[in-house]
Amino acid sequence: MNIIVCVKRIPKTAEADIFIEKDNKDIKKDNLVFALNDWDGYAVREAVLLKEKFEGEVIVLTVGPDESKEVLTRCLAMGADRAIRIEEPIPNDGRLIAETLAKVIQTGPFDLILTGVQAEDDGWGQVGVALAQILGIPHASIVTHIHIEGGKAKVRRELEGGLEELLEIKLPAVLTIQTGINEPKYVSLAAILEAEDKETKEMTLEEIGFSPREPLDATIDQVSFPPTGKRAEILKGTPDEVVGQLTEIIKRKKGS
Amino acid sequence: MKIDPKTFTKDYLLHLCIQCGTCTGGCPVKYRSPLNMRRLVRETYFTDPFPSLSKRAEIWACTTCSTCSLRCPSGVKNVELLMAIRNYLANKGEVPSTIRDALENTLMQGNPWGRFRDRRADWAKALGVKIFGEATSETLFYVGCAPSYDPRVQRVATALVKIFQNAGVDFAILGKKESCCGNEIRRMGEQALFKKLAKDNTILFKKLGIKKIITTSPHCYNAFQNEYPDLNLPVQHYTQVLVHLIETGHLHFSKELGTSVTYHDPCFLGKQNKVFEEPRKILASIPQCEFMEMERSRERSLCCEGGGGRMWAEGGTEGKRNAEIRIREAVSLGAKTLATACPFCLLTFEDSVKTSGLADQIAVKDIAELVDETTK
Amino acid sequence: MSDIFILVEHRQGKIRDITYEIFGLAESLANQQGTSFTAVLLGHDVKSFADDLSRRAPKVLVIEDENLEHFNSVLYQKTLSSLISKYQPSLLLMGHSAFGMDLAPSLSVEKDFPLVTDCIGLTFEEGKLKATRSIYGGKVNASVSLRESKGYIATLRPGIFPPKMHGEIKGRIVMEASPLEGGVDVKKFIEYIEAPITGEDITQAEILVSIGQGIGGPEHIPMFEELAIRLGGTISCSRPVVDRNWLPKERQVGISGKTVKPKIYLAIGISGAFQHVTAMQGSDTIIAINKDPRAPIFSVADYGIVDDFQNVIPILKEKISDMK
Repeated sequence: MNIIVCVKRIPKTAEADIFIEKDNKDIKKDNLVFALNDWDGYAVREAVLLKEKFEGEVIVLTVGPDESKEVLTRCLAMGADRAIRIEEPIPNDGRLIAETLAKVIQTGPFDLILTGVQAEDDGWGQVGVALAQILGIPHASIVTHIHIEGGKAKVRRELEGGLEELLEIKLPAVLTIQTGINEPKYVSLAAILEAEDKETKEMTLEEIGFSPREPLDATIDQVSFPPTGKRAEILKGTPDEVVGQLTEIIKRKKGS
Repeated sequence: MKIDPKTFTKDYLLHLCIQCGTCTGGCPVKYRSPLNMRRLVRETYFTDPFPSLSKRAEIWACTTCSTCSLRCPSGVKNVELLMAIRNYLANKGEVPSTIRDALENTLMQGNPWGRFRDRRADWAKALGVKIFGEATSETLFYVGCAPSYDPRVQRVATALVKIFQNAGVDFAILGKKESCCGNEIRRMGEQALFKKLAKDNTILFKKLGIKKIITTSPHCYNAFQNEYPDLNLPVQHYTQVLVHLIETGHLHFSKELGTSVTYHDPCFLGKQNKVFEEPRKILASIPQCEFMEMERSRERSLCCEGGGGRMWAEGGTEGKRNAEIRIREAVSLGAKTLATACPFCLLTFEDSVKTSGLADQIAVKDIAELVDETTK
Repeated sequence: MSDIFILVEHRQGKIRDITYEIFGLAESLANQQGTSFTAVLLGHDVKSFADDLSRRAPKVLVIEDENLEHFNSVLYQKTLSSLISKYQPSLLLMGHSAFGMDLAPSLSVEKDFPLVTDCIGLTFEEGKLKATRSIYGGKVNASVSLRESKGYIATLRPGIFPPKMHGEIKGRIVMEASPLEGGVDVKKFIEYIEAPITGEDITQAEILVSIGQGIGGPEHIPMFEELAIRLGGTISCSRPVVDRNWLPKERQVGISGKTVKPKIYLAIGISGAFQHVTAMQGSDTIIAINKDPRAPIFSVADYGIVDDFQNVIPILKEKISDMK
């Protein structure tokens, strides 16, 4: 079973102080650390687990600049066999990413394509499902469980309210992977250093014979900080005093 | 670089083991987990232990306090063996999820909690501290991860800054250029990451012309003093610095403490690095500080369970925590304050004081805080 | 300009709330553009839905087909595609939900309609669609322009747009013939799977002690369970806690978990991602305990404590037992 996993390098912003660039088009990134998109990490792990069961090859694929190599190396350390990077700044346009990926994917045989449900940074949630349409194969999004049997996959999709649905889908297909589908493994620095020796193929858009059409579907005009809404009343004092106030509030609200 | 269990016997002198059980006898988590050091040494020596050992949660229960190694009459390197097993597991990706987070965070943000690197020196903003890059000094005050980010331990770092300023010590901190020392990283089994941190930190220290290092934490002290291969700089734990400042008359006490204090020897300061006298000398110089010694002190100090990556480990142990046992020892001694000189001891004790409901009977303080309170 | 289409989202015999949220936005966009809006209802035995919808929308397009009983992106896409060809809507709106996320991107490629997902604001400027999206985990908003096109697709973030709950108009119901010729075998719906409830039902609790990843590790969970019991409530959590297997799925508050409206919601170590906030903001009183004063949870909470939970919870536990 040959599995292609499409991944993205993203900046980690949860803990960070965020500043906006002078041109207002994006946030400043020079003070941020970058990592493999969380959802993609689950997708790579799932691919490696499937490979352990059915044999075959796991190929990781990304569109991104030179720095994106580090997330590919991480994927290789996680157990992917080889990596392909399309040298291009990461577009803000999911359709363009999907078309670029499709151009590469179409050149070889595969049984399954996995992507993350969405990227941590811009959260479009578009690439995987658009990719399936471009390739003309079925897809399922927000997948929380995969069971493969005879050219078909039974997959569970996460719906709202704690509900899931069970689907049967014909392979090859694109599945977009939800977090929690598996238990991620630790990737040691020793494994990462070792993975640097694995094959990473680098290609330009020209080499894959793809020229993006203009204009793009979507462009970012500007970014801004969201308006600050209401703020909680912050309880102040020593922990004892704070808890005293808190207990009063709980007593009052509990009775009401 | 790749770890090979086949060489464990040779590397850690397992063949010297006489199965006397001294290691297990002194182990601070022997009642709290199935970890049995004597048996572990035997199993590793006799059998091809892997992967049978890999699924055992008790591998992560060890606090690396090193009581076993220090007491071993044959010189078996028990703790090094345990760290090698963890290293073997880490390289296979088989570490508990919270340890995984701590290691990944350290690689990304330079601290195991994954806090934002740029905010590392926020605690020092209002203190007028020199930061390397903007200023220079021969002395580095290496703050450490917990004192940089944890609100409780930030108070210790702040106290130290005030004391140093008070005593006219010229020093600077690294600010956001400071990265984890790697002491706990190595103990959680990430040898390669430890090596990287040691190398990067050593290069940085040399580049900045640093001649001397002072640490808040005994853990950082241990790493710099004993485990950085190319550092070759004098390193002092802050208690050693304070004793010197007091003895040379640079630091004057202006207030009385007026309470009774007992002292808990942190494993990485006391039994592992033999710094026993300095903390006691400091307490002896504080006016109106009634010092009381616990029965288990110095080499026999009971590990608080904060070391060896236990700050980030989940489970693997059960029953009453050592920190709580220790607090009850201090309370029954009649001490009103339990002093220590280590961020991890401070945090585990603070935690246990609250969860055991003894907060109104005893206070947990770092020696630096007691000195700061009485020298203002 | 031609109509704005709203895809009606329904599951297990109920129209989902997101549909009503889209109605409000569609109406104002239609007014802005001097056009009208149409609810598109695909399903099997959905006549009663059509009546309800026709009181809120000027027009309801209905396709009845037994193959449309359960959502299936392939069949929905085929059906919508033929409706789009026939009516040429200027914009198709749907929820950014398990439903919309499975359908919008592929339909967008097929019809060559630019897509914008997870919108928190939407408007037309000089005939071009512009959207506001919340990115980088809610830290900033982005204004996005879509290229000029005869049609667009947008998915809307749930819980953002005020729902249009009541309608008095009398819209037209137009039955359309189904373009489907049977089902498909590339993608088949088999069944729904409910998360088993083995413990207490968190949607019924009056007080929820809800924990997030910020509690550091599962070793603290017994302490929170005890606190919950002392308060007469129960314990719930955010998604990362479930992903890490610290608590079972049935305890999860969030869009993909349960929506809760307790009297008191005590959020501990929860940063406040929108997926979580959407599902708990209906609580009477929200109290947040978080180390990080900038955590978004403080924008939804009524009361906040900026501190390590370990400094607060043990004392609270003691005080609560005094209270009883």
